[in-house]
Order: sequence, then C-alpha cells, then structure tokens
Amino acid sequence: MYALWETLRAAVPLITKGNPYLFSIIWFTIQVAAVGTAIAVVIGLPIGLVIGAGRFRGRRILHAFANASLGLPPVLVGFFLLLLFVPQGPLGGLQLPITRRAVFIAQTVLALPYVVALTAAAVQGLPPGLLAQARVLGAGRRQLYTLALREARIGVIAGVIAALGTTLSEVGAIVVVGGNVYGYDQTLASAALFEANAVHLTDAVALGMVLVILILILMGGLGALQQWGGGIRLRFRTVT
Amino acid sequence: MGYLWHQLSGAVPLIFQGNPYILRVTWVTIQVAAVATGLALIIGLPLGLTLGLGRFRGRRTLQILANTTLALPPVLVGVLGLLFLLPQGPFGSLRIEFTLSAVFLAQTLLALPYIVALTPAAIQGLPPGLLAQARVLGAGRLQLARLALREAKIGVMAAVIAALGSALSEVGAVILVGGNVQGYDQTLASAVVQEVGPDSNYQYALALGIVLLALVFVLMAVLTVLQQRTSGINLRFRQVAR
Repeated sequence: MYALWETLRAAVPLITKGNPYLFSIIWFTIQVAAVGTAIAVVIGLPIGLVIGAGRFRGRRILHAFANASLGLPPVLVGFFLLLLFVPQGPLGGLQLPITRRAVFIAQTVLALPYVVALTAAAVQGLPPGLLAQARVLGAGRRQLYTLALREARIGVIAGVIAALGTTLSEVGAIVVVGGNVYGYDQTLASAALFEANAVHLTDAVALGMVLVILILILMGGLGALQQWGGGIRLRFRTVT
Repeated sequence: MGYLWHQLSGAVPLIFQGNPYILRVTWVTIQVAAVATGLALIIGLPLGLTLGLGRFRGRRTLQILANTTLALPPVLVGVLGLLFLLPQGPFGSLRIEFTLSAVFLAQTLLALPYIVALTPAAIQGLPPGLLAQARVLGAGRLQLARLALREAKIGVMAAVIAALGSALSEVGAVILVGGNVQGYDQTLASAVVQEVGPDSNYQYALALGIVLLALVFVLMAVLTVLQQRTSGINLRFRQVAR
C-alpha cells in the first residue's frame, strides 16, 4: 500500500508545478476533443435526423448499419485509416500517417457513429404520432427536423456526450495512425499509455488524473446542460 | 486501390491456412471475452439489481457513481491495474502482472460498469407501478429481482452487448497490465496494435483485424437476436403471485 500511496503523492506536484510538456498535451487533447466532437456533430446530426425521422426505403437498414458501426473496435478503425493513408494507399498523397491531422481524423471517425446512431434512436423514441401530427399540420422538412431535434434533445445530447467521451479516452485508433509520438501527437490518454508502458508510473498517474478531471468537467457540463434542458419537453405551439 | 488489394490477398490465406499464431490469438480473445463478460455479469448483475430495485438512502448517489465509471478511460484502468499489480503494489505478491490472468482481470473491470450502470437504467425504465404492484401482491425480494430482470431484458441484454464489445475491442488496459506479449496474452485487438508497430506486418494485422471483425459481428448478431426474440413476452404479470 505504501508504494501506491507514494506514487500518487509524487504525481500531484507534477500537475500543480505547471510543466509545459503537460500543458501542451492538455491543450492538444482539448483541441482533439473539440474538433472531433464538433465535426462528428456537424456531419452526424443531419444523418441521424434523416435516419430517425425520414420515411424512405432502406431506413431500417441504415439504422442497423449505424448501430453496428458502434461496435467497431477503435484499433481496427485506426488500422483501416492507416491502410488508406500510407504512401502506397489511396490517400497516400496527403501524407497523413504519424501526424496530428491523422489523430483529428481518427477521433472524428470514432465519434461519428455515436452521434448518428444515438440521434436516430432518440428521434425514434419520440411519442408516436408527434412527427406525424406535425406533418399533417403542414410542417415542412426543415421544421420537422427542427421539431424532432428539439424534442429528442436529451437523447441527442447523450450521443454528443458519448462522442466526446470517445475522443477523450480512446487510444486504439490514434496510437495506430498517429504513432503516439512523444511530445507531438499524444493526447492525455495515449501519453498515459506511453508512460505506463515505460513503467513511468508517476507520470502516467499524473496524466491520468488530469484526464479524469477533464472528463468530469466536460462531460459533467454537458450532462448538466442535458438535464437542465429536459424540463421543457413537448412544446407543440412553435411548430407552425 | 491496388495496394489495398495486394494486402488483402496476402491476409486472407493467413486466416484460412490455420496459422497457429492467429489461431492462438483468436482463442485467447474468445477466452477473454467469455471470462470478462461472465465475471462482469456474476458480480455486476446483483449490484445492478440492487441499484435498480433497492429503496435505500444514497441509491441515487450510487447510481451517479456507477454512471461515472462508464466514462473511465481504459488506459486509466490499465495504469491503476499496474499500480496495484506490480511487485511494489498492494497485490504485487500475486505475481500476475504481464500474464493472461491480468488481462482477464483488466477486461472484467472494464466490462463491469456497463452491467452495473445499464441494468438499473433498464429497470427504472419499466412501466411505473409494475414493481410496486408486484410488491403489493407480496413478491419476495428474489421474485422481484426475477420479474425486473425478465421485464427489463432488452435493456439488460444491451448492457451485456456493450460489456462484450468492450472486452473484445479495448486495448488500453490490456496492453498495460498484460504487456502485449506476442502469442501469449494478446487479444486480436492488441495484436493488431503490435503488428502495425515498429516491426510492422500489415498482412498479419489485416488478417487479425478481419478475424476480430468477424468475431464481433457474429457475437453481436447472436446477442441481438436473443435480445429481440424475447421482447414479445414483455409484461406477463401472471407469474408474479405464484
């Protein structure tokens, strides 16, 4: 127990001392989380809304496909991206392997299924008839999707929280495409993996502590937003 | 495209020739998935049921705590695992660091939060009054648990699917506590990480990846079918007052 306590105690000054290496990793992690989640929302929200509220052939298949993509191992996502990115690969000209841009792309791709699948599920979980009623009352496509988004926002935010969690925590994809280069394209999670692998446990614990604090702040903030906005469900009046 | 095709045509024979390395890694992965999901169920289901059914002070706090553990990064579980398992650590005398047992332990710890947090969520989503009615009709604690489990089956199965998924896919914890020792305590996912590392062999990585994808797909499909098949007999009240 003593050694454990000593490691934890030694880790705290590493954080509070304000070490520039740590700051650069924290900053990069925040960038990756913000960019990955934001792009996933911009691309994924419209897709999720269309799958959830649309009425077209193949909608169920697309939904099943979105659900299945949630089960995709991050390591494989990273590896398939790497096969596209290597110099001989189809996107080889972009010179992406072992760069920060590759890390951004990998975490975006990992976050996307959460936004798409959970938005679609949330929209489908709306009270039956709600969207049908809006359609009957003459809501246009845009109004319909706005209504669906507003009514299903608790589920949609749950999707965003899951997406954000993935961009912060996952290492499988970024280690593979980014190469986990010390001081360059490491996130807090992949840096913790790097240090622990070298049995620098004090550094790993310090990085892990900062990561947990970041997760609690960001995800807790979104969770509070989700619960706070939950009380005003089912306002029909603004539809028309 | 020619490059991808070249890699693929090298990888596919590796799978079908029964390469001993790939077979070994596949077998370890199946063991890890089964042991981790099984242990997580044995430990997590009673906890989840207690959280979902119990009426005691601090239940909500515990539920929030359980939800928080879902957000725990696998890498962190690995770091903490190493702290506890290395010789200087509290469980150092077990000498299981960098062994298959440590991999089992890590993936169980990762799978557990899904069962503990998602089971009560599923139970709380049951029609209000269902459990209260069973209580009024005189259901004992065990009967109540069985009723809740049966009625919340879809949600509980979703938890099992999530737990199994993390046991199969996650690498952060496995690499750290297991050491990712080639051909010994590697899972398919962690073996892919090694095969794209310094001594990279993309054909092996692709072969391992294809096997992992097939395994994930088959197991998820089976569990999803099981989940959906039983959804028809929701809300059978009659057996409660037996």
